[in-house]
Amino acid sequence: MRIQRRHGFVVTLITSALVLAACSSAQIDVGKGLCRVIGDNAAATPAPITASGTSDLKIGVVTDVGTLDDRNFNQYSWEGATGAAASIGAPEPQAIVTQNESQYAANIQSFVDQNYDIIVTVGFAIGAATLEAATANPDIHFIGVDQFQANDPVGNYESLIYSEAQAGYLAGIIAASISKSGEVAGLGGANFIPPVVNYLRGFQNGVASVNADATVHIKYVTDSDLTLAFNDPAGGKSFADQFLAQNTDVDVLFQVAGKTGNGMLQAVEEAGIYGIGVDVDQWASTPDSAECIVTSAEKKLTSSVRTAIEEFAAGTVRDSNQFLGADTEMIGLAPYYQFADLITSEIQGKVDTAFDAMAGGTLDPCAPNACFTGDPDPGT
Amino acid sequence: MTAQTRVLAAWQRGRAVALVPALSIAVALLIGAMIMILSSPLVSGEFNPTLPVTAYQAMLSGAFGSFDGVVRTLVNATPLVLAGLAVGIGFKAGLFNIGAQGQFLIGALTAAAAGLALNEASPFVAIPLALLAGMLGGLLWGFVPGALKAYTGAHEVVVTIMLNYVALAVLSWAISGPLRGQNVTFARTDDLVAASLPIFLGRDGHIGLLIAAVSVPLASWLLYRSTIGFEIRTTGANPDAARYAGMHPRNLIIFTMSLCGLLAGLAGASQLLGEVGYMTASFSTTVGFDAIAVALLGRAHPVGILFGALLFGAMQAGSGNMQILAGLPVQMVGVLQATILLVLTAEVVIRRIFRVQASGPELVELASVSASYGGKGTG
Repeated sequence: MRIQRRHGFVVTLITSALVLAACSSAQIDVGKGLCRVIGDNAAATPAPITASGTSDLKIGVVTDVGTLDDRNFNQYSWEGATGAAASIGAPEPQAIVTQNESQYAANIQSFVDQNYDIIVTVGFAIGAATLEAATANPDIHFIGVDQFQANDPVGNYESLIYSEAQAGYLAGIIAASISKSGEVAGLGGANFIPPVVNYLRGFQNGVASVNADATVHIKYVTDSDLTLAFNDPAGGKSFADQFLAQNTDVDVLFQVAGKTGNGMLQAVEEAGIYGIGVDVDQWASTPDSAECIVTSAEKKLTSSVRTAIEEFAAGTVRDSNQFLGADTEMIGLAPYYQFADLITSEIQGKVDTAFDAMAGGTLDPCAPNACFTGDPDPGT
Repeated sequence: MTAQTRVLAAWQRGRAVALVPALSIAVALLIGAMIMILSSPLVSGEFNPTLPVTAYQAMLSGAFGSFDGVVRTLVNATPLVLAGLAVGIGFKAGLFNIGAQGQFLIGALTAAAAGLALNEASPFVAIPLALLAGMLGGLLWGFVPGALKAYTGAHEVVVTIMLNYVALAVLSWAISGPLRGQNVTFARTDDLVAASLPIFLGRDGHIGLLIAAVSVPLASWLLYRSTIGFEIRTTGANPDAARYAGMHPRNLIIFTMSLCGLLAGLAGASQLLGEVGYMTASFSTTVGFDAIAVALLGRAHPVGILFGALLFGAMQAGSGNMQILAGLPVQMVGVLQATILLVLTAEVVIRRIFRVQASGPELVELASVSASYGGKGTG
C-alpha cells in the first residue's frame, strides 16, 4: 500500500483532529510506521539577492540531458547561475537544455557563438565536450559541475568535484543515530562507479563512528549495466523490496542510485522505514517519498556554482580542479523537515563535530573502510 | 520534349507532391507562433506578440545565419537522411519500418566494435571497415523482421518495435561489458581514433555528409530506374498483382527490409564515427523515430526525405539560439515538429482549407501501408 500525498493530507486532518495537534508531526501507520506526515513543512525559499554592483558578464548554462526544472543537477546548477548573476548585477543568464548526448558540443558552441563570457556545463557526461570547448576558446571561462580533469587541467576551465565520502559519512551518523534495530543499509547503483562507492563507504564509516556494533549492509544493483543502475525506478523498487524482505530488521536505507534509487525510496515508503536521499534535497525532489526521507547527503550545487561565478567576476584565480567538501561547506545534509525533532541536539552535535573535523582535515571519511580503490566494490 | 517543358513538367509534378507538406509546415509554424504568444507571459512576464518573430529569427540565424550554422544543419540532417530513407524505402514496399531506431543503434554498435578493434590500424583501413560493419549490423537487424514477415507473416511493425528494445538491451550489455572503456568513469567505450570520419567542411562537417548526399540519388535511381525498384514499388502497391506478374514478394520483402536496415545502420555508423566519437548507452536516442517523421514529411520520396531531414536538422541547429535569444524552452522545437506531423496527417483538413486537389499515384504506397493494418498481409 502506498501513501499518496493526497492521502497524506487526509491522514493529517484525521490525526490532527485526534491528537488535537498535540504532536508536531504524526506518524503514518504503514509497515514499521516510522514515516511521518509532512504537515506544513515546506522547502525553504532562498533569500532575495541584492546586487553588489553591476557586471556585463554574459552567463550561459548548458544542462545535462533532461529538463531545467528537474529539482536535481540541472535545476540547482541553474539556480546557482541565476543567483550569481543577481548578486554581481549581471544580465539574466540563459540556458540550453540538452536533449541527447550528441548535442553537448553544439549547445556549448551556441553560447560561444553568441560571445558569452561564462559557460556552465552540468554533469559528468558533458565533461569531455567542455574540456574540448575550453581548450578551443581560452577567452571564455568554463565551469563544469560534477566534472574532473584527469590530465593537465586547463586554466579557463574550473571543474567542480564534490567529496561524496564526506557527505556519506554525515548520512551514516544520522542513520546510526536514528536506527532502532542497529541494522542499516546503503544501496548503490553500480559497484564500479567511484562516486557511488565513495558515498557508501563514507556512509559505512559514519555509521561505525556512532555505533561500532551496527550492521551495515552495502549492496549494489549491478556490476555492469548502467541503465539498471541509475535509470530504472521499477527495478530499484523491486531490488529494495527484495532486500528489505530478506533483511527485516533494517530500518534506515540510504540510496545512491539516481532514478533507480527513487524506486528504492518508494520501497522505503511502503516498508514504513527511514530513507536518506542523495546528491540533492530529495525531500523536495521526490515528493512521493518525502514522508519517509529524514535527510539527504547533499552536494551544494547552487552555492558552489554561484561561488565559482562570483569569484571569477571578482577576478580571483582558482584551481582548475575544485575539490569541494566540508571545508568550504559545499557538501552537507539537507534539512530534516518533519523529522526535525527526531534529530536531537545530541545527534546534531555529532554531525557538527564530524563536519568540523572533516573541514579541518582531522577526520578521514574513507577510514577504516577504504573508499573507491579502482576495483569494483564487493559490498558487505 | 524540350528542356523547358521537361523542367515545367518536373515542377508541376513536384508541386503536386510537395504542396501539402509545405502547407502543413506553414500551418504548423502558425500554430507554433500562437503557442509561443500564449506562453509568452511565462517567459517574460507579459504578453509579447513579437515573441514568435524573435524565436523564428533566432532559429533561422542559428541554422543558416553563419557558415558553421549551415554545416551544423547539414550534420544534423545526415543521420536523418539515411534513416529517413530506411523508413521511406520500406513505405515504397508497403512495409512500415518502425525499427529504424534499433537498426540505427545496432549499426552504431557494430561500427564501434569494429572501430575499437581497428583503433591502431590506418584510417584508410579502419574507416571503410567500420562503416561496413555498421551497415552489416543494421542489415542483420532489418533482415530478421523481413524474413519473419516473409515466411511466417509476423507483422513487421510488431517485430521491429520489439527488436528496438532488443537492440537497446544488447547495446546496454555491450557498453557496460565487453566494449567498456578502460579509463572512463561511466559506461562508454574508449574514444574511436583511427575510424573517426575526417572533417572536410568547417568545424564539424564530416564525410558522413557526402555519404548521405550520395545516398539520395542512389536511392532514387534504385526505386525509379532499376528493375528491383520497380518490383519493390509494385509489391508495395499490390502484392497480389506482383506475384501474378512473376515477382517474388517474399524475397522482395526480405531484400527491402535488409536494405532499410543497412541504411539505418549506416546512419548510426556515420553519426558515431563522424559526430560523437565514442559509444554510450543513451546514444542519439531519437534519430530512428525522427526518421519516421522525416519519411512521412518527405512522402517517402528520396528528394522529399532530403528536404524533410534538412528541415528537422535546421530546427535542431537553431534550437540553441532560440533558447538563448528568445528564452523559450527547448521543448518548443519538439512542439513544432509534432505539430508539423499532426497537421500533415490531417491531410484532408489541409486540402479542405486550401482547396488542394488530391494528388496522384505518389501516395499509393502510404495508403497501402495503412491498408496493411486492416489485416491484408503480404507474402
